[in-house]
Amino acid sequence: MLSVRGLSVRFLMPGGRRVAAVTGARFDVAAGECLALIGESGCGKSVLASALLGLLPGNAQTAGSALLGDLDLLAADERTLARTVRGRLIGLVPQSPAAHLTPVRTVRSQLEETVAALTATRGRAALRAAAEAAAERAAFPASHLDRHPHELSGGLAQRAATALALVGGAPLLLADEPTTGLDRDLVDRTVDELRRHVDEPGPGNGTGRALLMITHDLAAAERIADRVAVMYAGRIVELADAAAFFGEPGPRHPYSRGLLQALPDRAFTPVPGMPPELGDLPDGCAFAARCDRATDTCAAPPPAGTVACHHPHVPEDARA
Amino acid sequence: MTCDAPAPAAAPETTQWRSYGPKRRSTRALRVRTSAALVAATVLAVLLVPPLVQLDQQAVDLAAKLRPPSFQHPFGTDDVGRDLLLRCVYGLRVSLLVGVAAALTATVVGTAVGAAAGALGGWADRALMRVVDTFSSVPHLLLGIFIVAMFRPGVWPVVISVALTHWLSTARIVRAEVLSLRSRPYIDAAVSGGASRWRVAVRHLLPAVLPQAALAAVLMVPHAMWHESALSFLGLGLPTHTASLGTLIQTARGSLLAGQWWPTLFPGLFLIVPTLAIAGLAGAWRERIHPRHRSELML
Amino acid sequence: MLELRSITAGYTRNAPVVRDVSLTVAPGESVGLLGPSGCGKSTLARVAALLHRPDSGTLLLDGEPVRHWRHRAPRDRRTAFGVVFQQARLSADPRLPLTDLIAEPLRATGRGREVPDRIAQLAPVVGLTPDLLTRRPHEVSDGQLQRACLARALVLRPRLLVCDEMTAMLDASTAAALVAAVEDYRAATGAALLAVGHDRTLLERWCDRTVHWESLS
Repeated sequence: MLSVRGLSVRFLMPGGRRVAAVTGARFDVAAGECLALIGESGCGKSVLASALLGLLPGNAQTAGSALLGDLDLLAADERTLARTVRGRLIGLVPQSPAAHLTPVRTVRSQLEETVAALTATRGRAALRAAAEAAAERAAFPASHLDRHPHELSGGLAQRAATALALVGGAPLLLADEPTTGLDRDLVDRTVDELRRHVDEPGPGNGTGRALLMITHDLAAAERIADRVAVMYAGRIVELADAAAFFGEPGPRHPYSRGLLQALPDRAFTPVPGMPPELGDLPDGCAFAARCDRATDTCAAPPPAGTVACHHPHVPEDARA
Repeated sequence: MTCDAPAPAAAPETTQWRSYGPKRRSTRALRVRTSAALVAATVLAVLLVPPLVQLDQQAVDLAAKLRPPSFQHPFGTDDVGRDLLLRCVYGLRVSLLVGVAAALTATVVGTAVGAAAGALGGWADRALMRVVDTFSSVPHLLLGIFIVAMFRPGVWPVVISVALTHWLSTARIVRAEVLSLRSRPYIDAAVSGGASRWRVAVRHLLPAVLPQAALAAVLMVPHAMWHESALSFLGLGLPTHTASLGTLIQTARGSLLAGQWWPTLFPGLFLIVPTLAIAGLAGAWRERIHPRHRSELML
Repeated sequence: MLELRSITAGYTRNAPVVRDVSLTVAPGESVGLLGPSGCGKSTLARVAALLHRPDSGTLLLDGEPVRHWRHRAPRDRRTAFGVVFQQARLSADPRLPLTDLIAEPLRATGRGREVPDRIAQLAPVVGLTPDLLTRRPHEVSDGQLQRACLARALVLRPRLLVCDEMTAMLDASTAAALVAAVEDYRAATGAALLAVGHDRTLLERWCDRTVHWESLS
């Protein structure tokens, strides 16, 4: 479905400084699959999402490719992105639904407007029916359709935003921190619903949607992801199967292991130190300065592959 | 032999970078530069021409009255033969002085009232905003005319008249800004950190609203210039022998009907061009202090 | 040291967000207040930190009833509390470099001379490097900014820390680092803690005692 190869984004800052926000990202998301992109704030996750949607600011430059079907999202012009990609090929589930919805209009009118803009549905009655169907798909109660966004709870606002993202029948859903600020029950419900949209037969050939979920919430990722991509300092340092990553044998990159050990239901100990500046990355492994396995080898760029590390944990370590 | 093969200083850049910069950036830069050049020209003209050019703007030459633009008088002459280019520069000087003085006064008054209303809240806020509402309910020009009529004609009554009718919008902007800032957690954090009311206002609230207020002040300069011109045009502002853009247009009214366009056109242009230039610069400044995607730019 | 008795509080007259809530924090104790989002627990945290006057109810600080809130509260009472909020971005004056952000409470209480010493002590505690200290909030990440906000809350050596969803927006590692910094401070000074949040796992791991919002009223 989505095939990202060597995606890099850099920002040209005043004074000729260059900030490498994303470097050489490579991953695939298949239909009916959820890939969770995890990492701490400022590691480049959101920039990657903006790059896929063509929403980067003017001082950004990109390299590589992001093929969605036959279309390279990075090379597409704004007109193509606006008319065929956003909403139709990629549905965005936003970070803060309350801010994503128009405060002065009801959920129904926003849904109807989106239906009219993205589909061939015309006529009052047809639009009304289509909007109600869209709300139902996202489990948004029909009784709340005539409310304004500020009259909705956080969970319902999130469903309204999801309903909008689903209207265009997009085969790829992009969820950018969909659970920020929600409490645990709501996080579980929200991500379960996202998972349901991945599993149910999709609009086209019945293979289900693809979901790229960007999050710093490891518990949410564990709950629904099939695969996990860990991002550190702009690079994807580990790409792993979710069951192996969160369960046995566990992550292989030292950073991923540290991240999991920081969870309150595990060791609750932070990774020492702080991530490097994206404007001033070392030539070698960016994690070496914080890593207890680092050696002189780490001054060289880490190997490409599923684990970008010179000294990854191997399953033997886990048994020892 | 092998020595002159240089070691690669840095890894060669094999990556093909694609830029995203929207194409309209270049025209934006051009617009900003044009505006800046025009504002600079305006300021230089009013500051440098009077002391450097040894010509008397009041020099009457009845033999050369109402001459169309020529090499000797690029803007032509007025109904008593005074050089219009010179009159326009002096007029612009007066109009700009009135505009800047009135805008500054209005901004200081407006910021003080708005900040006080927003920061104090409660009955003080209600009382101050009722005063603002009362002033706003009277048409500006009418109120301006009323104030000018109380004094003898001159520059300062006009400044006062314009200032007193223009601080209201600044007061509203500043109050709204202060109210929205006041509920921010960082004000809570300052209170918890032991900051006094005064310190919160001076250290956290006022600096945050100053860019807004300054922007409002800049935008108000052309507004105030037009207000002055309107008053003078109605014969209520500056005395007609004081050249301001308003008085120039007023005295030229008669000749316009007789087909003499230059005494009206050039003062008019002197009013419009600096207005657009100042508005252009202020717009660019506003984009700087309110960039829409600051967070994205900063990652 | 802090006792809230049947507190009712809100922002509009007839719609209180907090109804008849009671809660006690003993000296040196850490209490986790667990509740769903939007339940009013943040408002209660603001009441507890003397930042919001309740509509009714009593707040006892060291056994004495508190009568004044916000600026009217005596300065030494206000500064007995250190507060950290959920959204670091909104909790930091955008104009101030991190050093000034952290030093602000010292300057506001006329102790500007102590600034260099306290900054030098606190920066390593919360994990801020000297290079970060010179930057403004928009030049650092959310996690780094929250570290500075925690340092600001600690700078006056409060006796009670109020952390309102301090780690909700942060990644696991930064969250663990900030909690560790709070616990180091408490171990060194014996300060009490009121941690408000929605993450049961986190609060139960962090605090001596966790209370549920529903059980308070």
